Amino acid sequence: MLMLYRKLIAASLRSQMQYKMNFITSAATTGMIMVLDFVILSAILHRFNDVAGWNIYEVGMLYGISSASVSLYRLFAPEVNDFEKYVVHGEFDQMLIRPVSPLLLLLTRNLDLSRIGGIVQGVAVLVLSLAGLAREGADLLWLIVFSPIAILSGGVIYFSMALSSAALSFWTHQMRDILTFTIYAPANASNYPISLYPGWLKWLFFTALPIAYMNYLPMLALLGKGGGWYYPLLAPVAAATALFLALTFWKIGIRHYHSTGS
Amino acid sequence: MVYWRIIRKSYRRNLQYRLSHLINNVASSIFGLVFIAIWMGVLRGKAVHGPYDAETMACYIAICQSVLWVTTFMSPGLNVQVGVRSGAVSLDMIKPVHYLWYTLSQEFGRLLYNACYRSLPIGLLLGLAVGFSFPSDPLAYLLFLLSLLLAAYVGMLLFYLVGISSFWTTEVRWLHLILLSLVFGFGGQMIPVDLMPGVLGQLAPFLPFAAMIYYPVMNWLELAPAYSIGVQLLWAVILTAVALAVTKQARRKLEIQGG
Repeated sequence: MLMLYRKLIAASLRSQMQYKMNFITSAATTGMIMVLDFVILSAILHRFNDVAGWNIYEVGMLYGISSASVSLYRLFAPEVNDFEKYVVHGEFDQMLIRPVSPLLLLLTRNLDLSRIGGIVQGVAVLVLSLAGLAREGADLLWLIVFSPIAILSGGVIYFSMALSSAALSFWTHQMRDILTFTIYAPANASNYPISLYPGWLKWLFFTALPIAYMNYLPMLALLGKGGGWYYPLLAPVAAATALFLALTFWKIGIRHYHSTGS
Repeated sequence: MVYWRIIRKSYRRNLQYRLSHLINNVASSIFGLVFIAIWMGVLRGKAVHGPYDAETMACYIAICQSVLWVTTFMSPGLNVQVGVRSGAVSLDMIKPVHYLWYTLSQEFGRLLYNACYRSLPIGLLLGLAVGFSFPSDPLAYLLFLLSLLLAAYVGMLLFYLVGISSFWTTEVRWLHLILLSLVFGFGGQMIPVDLMPGVLGQLAPFLPFAAMIYYPVMNWLELAPAYSIGVQLLWAVILTAVALAVTKQARRKLEIQGG
């Protein structure tokens, strides 16, 4: 399975590297756009010191993890994010008759390399925030150990939410509007402490759109804001659960797929 | 008048998507709610100087989210690059209407549609969440309308310039994203531009991006400085001149490549 993934992904990488200049400019632009986004956030926090008791470096930890996670997902699964076209144009038919699972085919068809810029930005924000926290005399060891785990878990959580949305499109035949709800809004919301949001949104972020487990809950514990020592462990657990549920839903969805017959 | 007819056609074409958009409005409102929640967290328990207390800020963000659909969420490059790629642009250029006004009319029809089926419902939803704020002075409505029209016009011209750059480049996607992030960053959608720190706060109110979002919202809240319409007018004039000049160059380029 992994061997096959490596082979297929290598092929699509080779085809993309034919356009090296395009890759470099696109990655640089994506990174720059996201840097600007963070500059605006810093401007707000520079002016008002903190948001709900979180200072700029603490929000930076949330922001960096969320930003890198969502970019990680967008890097590896652009075709899942764009799945609507497979259902609408009936392209999914071809994937069903291959001897490989349709999901593996989707994941190996394309890599959105421009998202590397977003990962670099997220990690840069993390490093800056860690440096700031160090100056305030915080203990960095666990933060540094946990950050890669958080980014990976976050990437899996975003992937799971996207896969569920894709599976839903087997019935609804459209996905773009759903993604606003399941990816873009949560990605934006998880840059900040979840405690900010009204009750029903908070509830959503702990259940159906489980972004709270990737950065907010662990950081509560690691930044000494209260919360159990085991909170960081919830990140990979939530990611695994979300992935399992999404894969199950995806399998159910495939059985309901009707071709457009065009 | 021919442009009015183009506008009406474009408006009607967009009506087809009404239902899916009305559902999407709920998702868009959640974005607004997230922004409002962030600001409430920022302002909680702090003395704010200037006009931005929590209540005003909530209204500011809500109106921003509504205004965005008329002045910012336009077709990338006003679809000029699509015509350039397919070659259809050569037919549009020989039409007896000026290409710039033709393109702008197409987009304006879509913006009118957005105003009815995006801005109004979103404004209503967010108003229900944070409370409505209406201008007290009847004159303010007039100023707001003028400011909104100018904002849409400035926005359309900037998007047009991105689109028409496709005569010289192959890919406008990245230019579009850069423009969009500049508008989001310096337009006032996240933070009223005069609240930005240092030089940024002094410079941003005079950039065209503030003319697209910040001023119409401030006019609705009756907080806009007296020169707000002036800044917008100035950018409208400058960008019109630039767009006309670039269109002329593009036409020449088209002629060089020939049939």
